[in-house]
Amino acid sequence: MNQLGGKRALKALVAVAILPLLAVAGCAGKTSSQGSAGGKAAPTDGVLTVGLLGDIGQPPDPDVYYANNGCAIILNVYEGLVQYKNNLDKVEVAPRLAESWTVSPDFKTYTFKLRKGVTFHDGTPFTSDAVRSSFARRAAVKGGAAYMVEDVASVKTPDAATAVVELKSSNSAFLDYLASPFGPKMVSPDGVKKNAGSDNAQTYLSTHDLGTGPYELSDVQVGSKYVLSQYKDYWGTISPFKTINMPVYDDVSSLQLAIDNGDVSVSVANLPSSSLKKYQDSQTVASYFLPTIQSAMIFMNPSKDFFAKQEARTAFLQSINQKQLVEQVLGARSTPATTIYAKGMIDDGSDKQNITYDPSVLSKYAKSLPAGTAMVIGHASDNVNAQQMANIVAAQLQALGIKASAQSYPTSQVFNWPNDPTKGPDVFFDGNNGPDGGSPYMWGHVFWDKTGGINYFKCDDPSTDADLNAALKTGDKALFAKAAQTYSATGCWMNLSYNKDWVVAQKWLTGVPESQNIGANELNFSMLSIKK
Amino acid sequence: MLKFIVRRLGSSLVLILVLSAIIFLLQEITPGDPVRAYIGLNASPEAVAAARESLGLNSPLPLRYLHFLGRLLHGDLGVSFRTHRSVVSDLGDFLPATAELVTVAFVFALVLGILFAVSGALRWWGTSVLRGLLLVLATGPSFLLALGGIVLFYSRLGWLPGGDRGANASGPTGFLMIDSLLHGDVAQWATALQHLVLPALALAIAPAIAIGRILRASLETTMNADHVRTARAKGLSEGAVLGGHVVRNSIGPALSMAGLQLGFMFAGVVVVEQIFSWPGIGNYLARSIPVSDFPAIAAVTLVLGTIYIIANALVDLLQAAADPRLNL
Repeated sequence: MNQLGGKRALKALVAVAILPLLAVAGCAGKTSSQGSAGGKAAPTDGVLTVGLLGDIGQPPDPDVYYANNGCAIILNVYEGLVQYKNNLDKVEVAPRLAESWTVSPDFKTYTFKLRKGVTFHDGTPFTSDAVRSSFARRAAVKGGAAYMVEDVASVKTPDAATAVVELKSSNSAFLDYLASPFGPKMVSPDGVKKNAGSDNAQTYLSTHDLGTGPYELSDVQVGSKYVLSQYKDYWGTISPFKTINMPVYDDVSSLQLAIDNGDVSVSVANLPSSSLKKYQDSQTVASYFLPTIQSAMIFMNPSKDFFAKQEARTAFLQSINQKQLVEQVLGARSTPATTIYAKGMIDDGSDKQNITYDPSVLSKYAKSLPAGTAMVIGHASDNVNAQQMANIVAAQLQALGIKASAQSYPTSQVFNWPNDPTKGPDVFFDGNNGPDGGSPYMWGHVFWDKTGGINYFKCDDPSTDADLNAALKTGDKALFAKAAQTYSATGCWMNLSYNKDWVVAQKWLTGVPESQNIGANELNFSMLSIKK
Repeated sequence: MLKFIVRRLGSSLVLILVLSAIIFLLQEITPGDPVRAYIGLNASPEAVAAARESLGLNSPLPLRYLHFLGRLLHGDLGVSFRTHRSVVSDLGDFLPATAELVTVAFVFALVLGILFAVSGALRWWGTSVLRGLLLVLATGPSFLLALGGIVLFYSRLGWLPGGDRGANASGPTGFLMIDSLLHGDVAQWATALQHLVLPALALAIAPAIAIGRILRASLETTMNADHVRTARAKGLSEGAVLGGHVVRNSIGPALSMAGLQLGFMFAGVVVVEQIFSWPGIGNYLARSIPVSDFPAIAAVTLVLGTIYIIANALVDLLQAAADPRLNL
């Protein structure tokens, strides 16, 4: 009897314990925020949801931000004097806040005629003084892209609609600096002054904006979401999207499910190549492959015994079946690179990459090595495509008798290699990288010059650096091409593929190709619309 | 009791000091370059060098450690290289989200654990299916549970949201469910709860089984113990027997396990937060590690260490309250 009574009491205890769970389950009905498989109709509330994969990483201050997906915010909230032309597969500088410009023959004086009727989001007018103060702020903040204005000697403002930029030395890449997504953006001088604090308004601009772009930064929840609201007095095209909601997804599978359910309207360059077929065949989601100046690349480490000699490096690069590797791993989002610079950087194709596929050269070289000679093929731990390429190449090398293995490295480690290349792998597959802008100088300097920042293993050729620096002063394309050929002959580096922005968007969204430009890697949301 | 608290406090401080020294040493020997997180990956070597100097990273390690401790004493955990914000401010934003998630997950774990234990101890008909299901789910890693949950309940059935908290934290506690009630916003309370269900369950299943198994074994032993039979023989009511003799004598090991699991839940929240895009310290840590954002990594580690120590101290106190034979 007592035992039975005890059981009854315990049952009551369990019932009490279950109640909260039942309550929770009861609350869990379908809500309007949740989708069902198969996507959703176009929004009627004027909200466009742009899915970000991972947080933007740095504050959305145009003079601080120097990373990746946060450009979606910067480029829709701020504007520079010029930009690259939209919907074009080669770099061509186009007007933005400057309607026209002239460049002196010595590439030292750049004169801009500014657009009239433009206002900053704080209501103040955009004038030539803003050019001067914006350049000055960028230099003072000393962010990663401050180098773009380091050479500016002065900004003269003969009238409100004219800005004359004098450089300390000739620089044919200066317009590309300005057109770069990381280039100087116009920031309200009054707003900066008012919110300067002790850090040049950096604190203020981490959660607010002072730009002229089609959207204003209206909500910042670091790591969670960013919200843009349409600027009603914008001078340019106004889209039907009043609000841009940018939720942060930390897991690519979660992002894909949100796209599939229609909760995310568009996502730029976030999905892995393994999902290509799924979205290409989708009934509700469209895939766009849009041009960039980014590539997959191979960096050779000359500080490692294996690749100390140019012959060995070249033999390795010749063993890469470029076409097969690119098609197999990157698919429709890339094409094999045939030039040393990005596609279209040198119009006449004189930067043709002359590395012919011939695995027998490395095979012969491998036979001369002691048995079991090891080779580490590195890739960034967050780049699935590079990992796949490294694994495929490692397997191919093993067939040649080389003890090759693929190894992943965190980003912070990768970018520390220039301090000590001996700590890096023998060779590194970079799945996607590009310069800040479309000038051949920016490409050559960053990847080939040992002081460029992304010459991971400091595989340097002084004559290449000299040619690049000379060509920067004159804009001589032939000299840029010569620098490229010289560097390519060192076997230090290979341009593997021309990568494209793979944009996945709901089919009701229109204007995607028109809203993208080759340098931006992001969309201009004001140019997007809804299918009628 | 007071002696116990003072002793625990002292040992906790020593532990935290040791933990901070280990983190500092690890930062030094890790090959990553945190300056890149601050200034941008493509920054020129000159810009990186200038930033390193301005961040004080060129100072000798012992000096930097002393500065770190000095700032720590003043509640200053430095500035995140990644977000460029004060780490204290970052934690202020992210910690409540994690605390709310873990609290709800802990409640789920306790409820499921009790259900698992009691249904097993009493051998109810049909509950073996439930226990079997819980056991199967517990064998899966949390990321698999999380992904499975999203696919089933968000993508296929559309019953629950697939991620984030569903609304902005508007204070004062940072716990959305509490804040929404304080603001009288029932709709937001329901939204917050819906967003919590999947991540909390993904986090709760394995701890629930761990707690449930210990509790079940304890209950079975105690219910057949001589003193319980004696209590019944004395004519005590079943409530008095259960409350005074069964539960109090069975709860000790389960409490101990619950404390341990609470600590594990805070540590294991990283994966679940990533999959559900939950804006908590787990996600903050996961984003900070690849770029060697040391101030952020150190702060989260210290916070997690402190929570673990406090949770275990609380468990000791609760055990002592439940079982007077324990001498603290």
